[in-house]
Formats: sequence, structure tokens, C-alpha cells
Amino acid sequence: MLQRFLDPAVLAGISSLDLLAKTVVDGFVAGLHRSPDFGFSQEFAEYRAYTPGDDLRHVDWNLFARTERCYLKRYRGETNSQLTVLLDASKSMQYTSGPPSKMDYARFIAAALFYLAIQNQRDAAGLIVFDDEIRDYIRPSTRPGQLARLFAGLEHAEPHARTNFARPLQHFRNSLHRRGIAILISDFYEDPETVIHEIAPLRFHGNEVILFHILDPEEIRPVMHGPALLVDLETEQRIEVVPDYARTTYRSRIDAHIEQLRTRARAAGMDYQLLLTNRPLDFALREYLALRQAEN
Amino acid sequence: MGFLAPWFLAGMAALGVPVFVHLLRKHVTTPRPVSSLMFFERGVQSSTRHKQLKYLLLFALRAALVFLIVLAFADPFVRRPAAGGAGRLLVIALDNSFSMRAATHFADAKQQALATLAARPHDSPAQIIALGGQVQLLTQAIGDDAQLRAALLSIQPGDGHANFGELGRALRSIADTTHRPIDLHLFSDMQRTAMPSNFADMVLPPTVRLTAHPVAQGASLANWTVESVEAPAELSDPKDPRRSRVHAVIAGFNTPAATKTIALVINGKAIASRKVNVPPNGRAAVEFAPLDVSYGFNQCAVRIEEADALPDDNASVFAVRRSDPQRVLFVHATDDTRSATYFGAALSAADRASFILQSMDAAQTTDLDPSKFAFVVLSDVLALPSIFEHALAQYVAKGGRVFIALGTHAGRRAQIPLWGAAVLDTRESIRASGPLSVGQVDFAFPALAQAQPGRDNGGWAVVRVFYASTVEAGQARVAARLADGTPLLLDKQLGEGHLLLFTSGLDNLTNDLPLHPVFVAFIDRLAHYLSGSERLSGAALVDSFVQLRAAGEPVGAVSNVEVIDPDGRRALSLSEARTIQTYRFARAGFYKLRYPNGQDAVIGVNPDRRESNLEPLPPDLLKLWSGSGSSAPQTTAAPAPGEITNRNLSLWWYVMLLALLVVLAETAVASRHMGTQREEV
Repeated sequence: MLQRFLDPAVLAGISSLDLLAKTVVDGFVAGLHRSPDFGFSQEFAEYRAYTPGDDLRHVDWNLFARTERCYLKRYRGETNSQLTVLLDASKSMQYTSGPPSKMDYARFIAAALFYLAIQNQRDAAGLIVFDDEIRDYIRPSTRPGQLARLFAGLEHAEPHARTNFARPLQHFRNSLHRRGIAILISDFYEDPETVIHEIAPLRFHGNEVILFHILDPEEIRPVMHGPALLVDLETEQRIEVVPDYARTTYRSRIDAHIEQLRTRARAAGMDYQLLLTNRPLDFALREYLALRQAEN
Repeated sequence: MGFLAPWFLAGMAALGVPVFVHLLRKHVTTPRPVSSLMFFERGVQSSTRHKQLKYLLLFALRAALVFLIVLAFADPFVRRPAAGGAGRLLVIALDNSFSMRAATHFADAKQQALATLAARPHDSPAQIIALGGQVQLLTQAIGDDAQLRAALLSIQPGDGHANFGELGRALRSIADTTHRPIDLHLFSDMQRTAMPSNFADMVLPPTVRLTAHPVAQGASLANWTVESVEAPAELSDPKDPRRSRVHAVIAGFNTPAATKTIALVINGKAIASRKVNVPPNGRAAVEFAPLDVSYGFNQCAVRIEEADALPDDNASVFAVRRSDPQRVLFVHATDDTRSATYFGAALSAADRASFILQSMDAAQTTDLDPSKFAFVVLSDVLALPSIFEHALAQYVAKGGRVFIALGTHAGRRAQIPLWGAAVLDTRESIRASGPLSVGQVDFAFPALAQAQPGRDNGGWAVVRVFYASTVEAGQARVAARLADGTPLLLDKQLGEGHLLLFTSGLDNLTNDLPLHPVFVAFIDRLAHYLSGSERLSGAALVDSFVQLRAAGEPVGAVSNVEVIDPDGRRALSLSEARTIQTYRFARAGFYKLRYPNGQDAVIGVNPDRRESNLEPLPPDLLKLWSGSGSSAPQTTAAPAPGEITNRNLSLWWYVMLLALLVVLAETAVASRHMGTQREEV
């Protein structure tokens, strides 16, 4: 089972990146992800004026002695991160025009991320599988066996019902005790406004939120040689569609949807990445990690 | 344009198949799953536009294919003007029967036939038939002028007897095989005697139009002929006043009273002549006696010296074979003395036979050679010396004939000598239940032959049989039976020869046959049959058959037969000589035959005397016959050359060719569409 998700070729592609190499050489679990919080470590960050209620232990008394002003001294903290993958297991993820299906592709990405986080960065990793409600929840942890549990959770994640982001994200917010990275993997067949509206609160709590948008190539450029009867995998609704529409209007609408999702995600401070199931897995991860490195 | 089989046009209903497939059948689409219909909108293509446009070319090709196939079955044709009755088969029948030798009948008929053939449109089909003793189709329906003319010229006058019934049968056969109307031109003397006994036999099919060309115009010709000759085929003593005589009947047809000089010709020399007065249209008898012939075969003829309209029938030929009286071996049991007496008395009293009976006890036959005897009689013999029995078997196998009579000793035998079967039962009870009479007699059997047996069963009805043996008939021919069905006389072929088995005796103990007059006639014919002399000489008719070897005989097991025709040529090829069983006398004259057993024979063959009556068919009868085939009877000459008629030109072949092309185009177009459908899947 492990081999299914841990394709050596995929991992070899990821290991070549500089950030990962540096983490491995230092032998330090922390360092790959900079903590978004200010902590108490060795690296000075700034001074801040004292306000009533601040912990007096953080006051720089030397500065107060010289200037008679009360400032707090702040350091940049480095901590272990916490990765939570929210995997959309709605029926629409079943779609495929050729292997792998979107669901399998999402599993591969999640597995690769888990391995990266747990084995290489000693991060805590957790999984939430959802459709219109929470199907599986594995609390983030670094305990031994966590990786196997996560893989098992991925293995048992089967597409069921429709997508509804509200309830799983509410559950995520309730169970969140530490800030970390939240990766949402879905095909996002929802109004971008609604999607961002549901996800934005995660960002407000200081989490890094990344959206992986999984689509099949045929969903972007559908091929039709004649009128076809299309069946919605989630609602079972049927409509007859003519090839002309698929060639023109549909393409413009799906392109607009992707662009709108990307724009709104960026505007809300979230990362967005479109992944097509015919593209190499390592390529997608490498692109994402390079994006993270540039941001750091 | 028309259709030869218009009812096949009902097949046009099959055009509905491509219409249904292409235009009426509901378009079936396989549902395709998609992740979400969020960005799709319902859009239905115009169904009419879809149905009309999709596979329009394929639909057109398929509809055209069905149309063409149906059209081909309907067999369309166009009428094309054609000259001179083209489209009709011209059949020229030239009568070459014996009567056509009269005057210039045959030459005239052939000339007219050639003129009719020449007047027909060029290359139109024609067929030549020779109407003689047999109807001969000399050509198929062909258009080759040279071949048709050569076939017509090759017809020579024959000696056969024409029969319009045979012609009608041949025309019915031709009409069945060729599907076109037939113009039959018959060039004949239209002899009345050529009519079959049943007019229905000569009725022509409706598609046949008969044009008769009678060559004997006006009153029929006067003709005298030697109608019949009675002469002994075998003669041992020329001075025998009872047998050494020739009796001939001279007949006149459409003749006045006349005195005719009749000559008896033997081996080319007229040895006697008589003057005879023949009444008008009547008959007169003439007799020559004694018949002084030399030893061996003599070719004889009775001839009318004066010429008439048909001189070829003025002579009637026959062959007389003179030989010493033949010996007959009569083998009897030691205690049987009556049989030889009765048999010998009957044999000497017979008309035609000239035999010397040699009676012998069975025990004394050891050193005898059966081949020296004309035939052998075994009368109630209990057992034969094995040497003699073996010699007898060889004798029969080579063509000899043996007559076996069972007597009162039958019940004591294990097996009947030579016959190869045992006596199943002896009917001694006949005495108790009263004597049995002879129930069935096969008068077609040569030894029992009678032309017109009377009510008394040819004299056999009075015969009483007291004692008879029951023998399994098997493959043998039963010539006579007792009233209770017990076989009385059986004939079985053994090799080339024959065995006759008489299940009663030849004495008056087992039956009273020797006491009745029929016994003499029976013994006479029996001797004639057993000696085989009936086929060694005498006379026969043209077109009759002679049996040369036994049926079922293995090929090559015996020597060849030989037939020398009247011209002195061998009539049989080498392969025929080894295999032929019967031979047809095609011509008049003397035929010399040699049978497989080495016996020679000379047969005088005469034309059928019905040919001598030159009276033509009555006009009303001829008209009736001409009208039997079509509604437009015709007895005129050939159709006027250049007559414009219409000819049907069938388009079947062209339609099928076009259909083939459409099939190829449909295959190409369909494969392209099917390829597209596979991509969709």
C-alpha cells in the first residue's frame, strides 16, 4: 500500500529541491516553515511599546534604564508546523477521462505531502476527509505510526455525496488548537465566492491555507463529436448538450471559474494551485514548494 | 419498358428498411458522466436537421441498392424492334422416314427447308430436327448459318417410321427448356400412318406455332408393297412340303386392280415368280414352294417386279438357315419311360422344329458332351454323374439351355441338379384335394407365346396337375403358375444360357398335359426357344432391337459381339463391341450378327409397312393439329423476310452490375462512418 502513494520517482523529484536539502543537512526538524507567530528564541525581531496587560517578563529593562520608556523585546520564533489536509471526497472526484481519477490524484498528492511533512520535516500531519460532512478525521500528530494511519485514512476515503465546505471547515476550526498549514484538495465545483467565503475564516486564525484545484483535462477541454447526454455524478441530473456549446461557451465558463477562484484566493491571502490529472505529480509538488520558498 | 416478373416489384416495400434505419429510428445516445453540470447548458440539436443530414449519402446508397436488387428480380426489359421474327426460335423438322423416298418427296422437302432457313433473319436462333424412326435433334438453338445449313444437308432419307407423337413430345421438351416462342416448320409428306394412336400425343405446347409444309400435294400416290412374308427361319429338309414354303401377302394402297409379278429371290437370284391379281386397294396372297435353299444362311426376298411410286418397299427380305436336324438330349430316370415318348412325339409333330430326340438314362451320360446338342432336357432325374453335371453347367454358362422337369422323384432329391435350390415341398396333397388347374400363363414368355390366347387360357385351362413341387422362385422369372399360386414354369438366366424349370412332370402321372393339344404347341415353342434358333435367322423391322448379350453380364468376361450392317461395314466400335447389350436395326437390309458364344446369325430387316401407305393426313386433321399449339393456325410458307417484330431486351444484367457498384460505394462510405463511431466510443 505504501508503494502506491510513495512512488520513488515522486519523492526523488521532491528531494532535489534546495529547501528540503537544507533541512536534511541541518538535521533540525524546525526550519522549513517559518512560524507565523512571534516566540521567544534567539533571533531578535523588533521592539514594541508596552501596553497595559503585557507580560512584564518581556520588558527590556535595559532600554527602560537608558530611555525611561517601556518597550517589549520581541524575537522571531521557529517552531514545528502542523499540516492538515482537507480532502474532498465528493462523487465529482470520481470523474476520469483516463487513469488516474481525480480522487486518486488527490490521494497521491496528500500521501506525498504527509510523507514530506512527517519523515523529512517532523511536522505534525492530520487528515480530514469530507463531502457534505466529515467522513474521516485523523488528528495531527507526530506520533509513531501516524503516517500509516494517514495512509489508511486516504485508502478508505471513497467518494460519496456532494461537496459542502461549510461543515468540515467549521469542524476544522473547532478542532484547531495550533496554527499551521491547511491544504484543501478539491475540484471546487462551487461558486468561487462561496468557496472563499467558507475558507477565509481559516486564514483569519493565522493558518496558511493552500487550495489544490484538481481537474481532469477533459473538464477543461471537453471533446464531443455529437450531441451527448451528460449525467451529473453528484446529482444524477441529465441534460443533452451539443458539441458547439462544449467547444465554445463551456470552455470560456470553466476558464473564468478557474481564474476567479485563483484571483479570489490570492486576494484572501491563500495560495492556489491548479493541478491537472495528466500532469506529473512531482511537478505539481515541486511547483508548490518552489512557490513556498519564494514566499519565504 | 416492362417487367418479365412484375410481382417482384412488391419487394420495393423493402425500401422502408433504410428509411426506418436512417430517418425514423430514434437517435440513441449513451449517457456520459461528468463531474458537474455547473457549466453546461441544455442544448438540443434540431432533430429534423440531424436526421436529414446524418449519413444522407449512406442512406441514398442503401436505398438505391434495395431498389436495384428488387428491380433486377422484376427482370425489366425494353422492346427493341427486330427483323423477321427474331426472339422466336425457328425449329425446322425434316421428315426422313421411309415414305419420303417416294417420288421426289425428300428432295423437295429438303429444298423447301433450306429456303426457309435462308429466309430467316440473320443470326436469329434456329434448330434442326430429323424426323425418322427416332426424333434426332441435330443442332442446339444456334444462330450459325453454316452449321444449321450443314445439319440440314446431312439429313438423308432413312428407313424408319415417322411418328408425329414423337415430334410433339420433342417439341414439348424444347418448349420447356427454351423460354421463347417457337416457330415449327414441318417438311413432311404428312403421312396418315404417322399419327399416333392418341391425338393428345401430338398436341403441341401453346408457345409453338406449327407451319406445315406438305410435300405430297394432291391425291396420294398408288403404291404396292409386300406386306408380309411367312417363311421358315430354319429349314432342315427343303422337300418337306409342310415347312418348305414361303407365303407372302401383296397389298395395294390407293391402287387400282392390277396384275403383279412376284418373284422369290434367294441369294440374289430369282428362282421363282408368280403372277397375282391384286384387287383395288386390296391384298393378294402368293406362295412359293418348295423353298430350295442351300446349307447355311440364305438371304431371301419376295419382290414385286413392277415399279411404282415407292419402289423401295417392293421387296421384303428374310433369312433362312438350312441345317441338318439338331439333336436334343433327353435325360430321364431309369424307371421313367413315358416322358421321352410324350416329349419326342410332341417334338416331331411340331411345325417349325427339326430336331432329333436322343433319349438316355441318367446313369449313361458320363461321357456325353452337351455342346453337341441343341438343348438338353432333364426329366425327373434323381441324380446326375458329377462329370456330366459339371459339363452341363459349363454348357449353360456359355449359352446353352436346359429344360428341367421335376417328376415324382422330386421329393427324394436333396437339391435340383443345376438349378441350385432344393424342393421346398411336394404337393402330393393335390391328389387328395383334387387336381389343380393352371392359373396364370405369361404369354409374353417365348416358350408360351401366343398372339391371341382364347378364353380357355390358351388351352392351358383344361390341363390338370396332380403333382407339383414347390420351389423358391428367387431371381427366376415365373412364366406360369398353378391356380393356388405354385410356380409351374420358371426361367432363370445362368451365365449366357438359360435354365427352365417345370415343377411337374412330362408324363401323364403328374399331370395330363401330354394329353392336350397345347402340349405340342408348348413343346414346339419350347424347343424353338431352347435351341435359340429364333434369333439366328428370319426377319425383323427397322428400329427394332436385338439382344446381343445378357444384361448384368460382367464386361469383358466374354468375347466381343459383332454387327455387320447391310453395306458390309462393322456397325459397332471396339468399345461398343465389348459392352453393348442391344442393337437397333436402323436400316433395311441384311444384318450379320455374331453373338458372344460364337453363334452367327443373319437377320433380314424390312421397313415398317405402315410407311407404304402414302395417304396424307386429312386437311381438317392437319388444321386441327396446326391450331393445337397456338390460336393462329398456319399452313402457309415461311414468314415473309423482313417482317418487323419486337424483341424484348432484358436489362437484368445491367441492373445487377449497377447494384454491384452501389454495394462497393456503400461499403466504402459505411466503413468511414463506422470508423467515426468507434472514435466516439
